[in-house]
Amino acid sequence: MGNDGIRPSGLDRRRFLTLAGGGALASAALRGAPASKPAPEIPVARRRMIQMNGYATDAETPLDALTTYLTPNDLFFVRHHWNPIYPDARHWALEVDGLVERPLRLTLGELKKLPRASATCILQCAGNGRANHRPRVPGVQWRYGAVGNARWSGVRVRDLLERAGVKAGARHLQTAGSDKPPSNTPAFNRSVELEKILSDGVVAYEMNGSPLSPLHGAPARLVVPGWTGNHWMKWLTKLTVSAEPQKGFYMDTAYRYPKTPGEPGVAFKPDEMNPVTELFVKSNITEFPATVAAGSGALLRGFAYSGAPDVSRVEITDDGGDTWRPAELSAQHDPYAWRLWSFRYTPKGPGRVTLSARATDSRGSVQPKDAVWNQSGYLFNGWHSVDVEVTA
Amino acid sequence: MSRRVRAVSALVVAIAFLFSGPALEAAKKKKKSSKPAAANFDTKLPVLGTKLTEFPPGPGKRLADEACLACHSADMVWQQRLNEKQWTAEVNKMAGWGAPVPEKDRAGLVEYLVANFGPENDKFQPVVTRPVGK
Repeated sequence: MGNDGIRPSGLDRRRFLTLAGGGALASAALRGAPASKPAPEIPVARRRMIQMNGYATDAETPLDALTTYLTPNDLFFVRHHWNPIYPDARHWALEVDGLVERPLRLTLGELKKLPRASATCILQCAGNGRANHRPRVPGVQWRYGAVGNARWSGVRVRDLLERAGVKAGARHLQTAGSDKPPSNTPAFNRSVELEKILSDGVVAYEMNGSPLSPLHGAPARLVVPGWTGNHWMKWLTKLTVSAEPQKGFYMDTAYRYPKTPGEPGVAFKPDEMNPVTELFVKSNITEFPATVAAGSGALLRGFAYSGAPDVSRVEITDDGGDTWRPAELSAQHDPYAWRLWSFRYTPKGPGRVTLSARATDSRGSVQPKDAVWNQSGYLFNGWHSVDVEVTA
Repeated sequence: MSRRVRAVSALVVAIAFLFSGPALEAAKKKKKSSKPAAANFDTKLPVLGTKLTEFPPGPGKRLADEACLACHSADMVWQQRLNEKQWTAEVNKMAGWGAPVPEKDRAGLVEYLVANFGPENDKFQPVVTRPVGK
C-alpha cells in the first residue's frame, strides 16, 4: 500500500508525503538511530523520588537527578489520574477502528512483529511547574520534575494506520487507555490531530530499551513528541480514527490554555482558551553551588527543551535580565529531546546573586520571565532562578 | 478509615510493593548462597505509595475522610493553598463526580478545607521515596 492509503483528505499530496514519510524531521525522529550511550551514573544519594500523592500515584524527579541525557526509567516521573487497572499483557490487544477500511486488533506479540521505530524525546506533564503560578491554582503541585527524556520504541502510528487504511474525511485520532475513572468522574480520553500523529507518533512498548513498566503505561502507550503528557495515553487500548476531536471534560474543559494572556487570578472562560498541545520553551537549572568565592568559577548545569524540535540557545543572567551570557549546549540531541547545558559563572564580588536561565528554541520563541497565569496551572515556563552566595 | 478506603490503600501498597526494591531484595535473599548486591538507592527510604498522610484533626476530618479518600490520598489536599471560592468549586466538582458528601455537609467540608489548606498553607512536605519500578 502506498502513502495515499492513509492520506487524510484536506491535505495536499505534497504536504502529506512530507508528514508521512519524506519529511526530514519525521525521518530524523523515528528512523532507527544508533543506540545512545549508557547514561552516566547518578550518585546513589540523588537516586530518589518526590511523592506528591500516595494514591492515585504521582511522583516527580528531583532536579539534581535530571542530569543525564536519558532519564533512568526508575527515576522517571509518575502521573496517574486515578488508581489504574493495569492490563494483563497476555490478554491485552490494541484496537484500531473508526474511519478505517480494515479495523485492526493487535496483540503485543503481533505489535512487536511490525517494523520497529524509536523516538528519543522528552515527556512533560502539562501541569509541570503548577506550584510556581501565582495566585495559586488547584491540582498536583508539581514544581520542576514532572519531566524526563527517554528513548521510546515501538511502532509508528502511521505504519499502523497505513495497515488499517484511513478513509476520507479523517482529521483526528481519538485514544483510550484501560484506566477507568471512579463513580461519575469523566473518562480520561484525548485526541490528537491526525496531521501531528502521522508525522512522528509512536505506539511505544519499550522505554530506554526495557519493556515499559506498569507505572509508565505498559504494555504500550502513545508517544507524541513535543506535545504535553496528557496526549501520551498510558495503558493504551484503542485508537479511533475520526472526523471530529474527542468530546468530554478532558478535551472541552480541562487541558486548555488562554488564547491571549489575561490578568493573573482572573479565570478564563472555555472559549477564551485553546487545547493544550505543544510544550513551551523552557530551561531549568539542575546543579549549582550554594556558595562560591569571588573571582573563582562556579559551574551551573541544566536542561532546556521546547515544543519546537530543538533549543538553539540557553543564556544566564546575574542582573535580572539586563545582560545575558550564553551557556554551552551539549551536542547530544534528537528532535524534541532536551539539550543539556553548562555554564561557568565567575562572580564579580561578594554578596548574594540570583542567577536565572532562559532558553530560545529553534523557532525563535524565547522563554519569558513570567509564565502566563491560567486557572489550571498548565505549561509554566517562567525563568528558573537560583541564589548563590558569593564569599570574599 | 472506611473499609473501602482501607481496601484501596492496601491495593496500592501491594501493587507498589510488587514493583519495589524490597520485593526484589526479598527475592534475592532467598538465594542464601549469593551475596546480596548493594542497593543503588537509600534503602531507608519508603516505597512510593506506602507512606500516606492523614487529614489533620478537626470538626471536618470525618467529612474529608469519607469524601476524598476513596479516590486519592490526603496528600493531594495537603498540597493545596486555595481560598474559599476555589475550595467551594473543588468540592462541588468532586461531589458531581461522585464524592460521597451530602449537600448539607458541603459548607462544613469547605470550612474545614479553607481552615487547614487555605492560601497561607505551607504545611505540605512531600515524601521522599525510593526510585520506582523498572
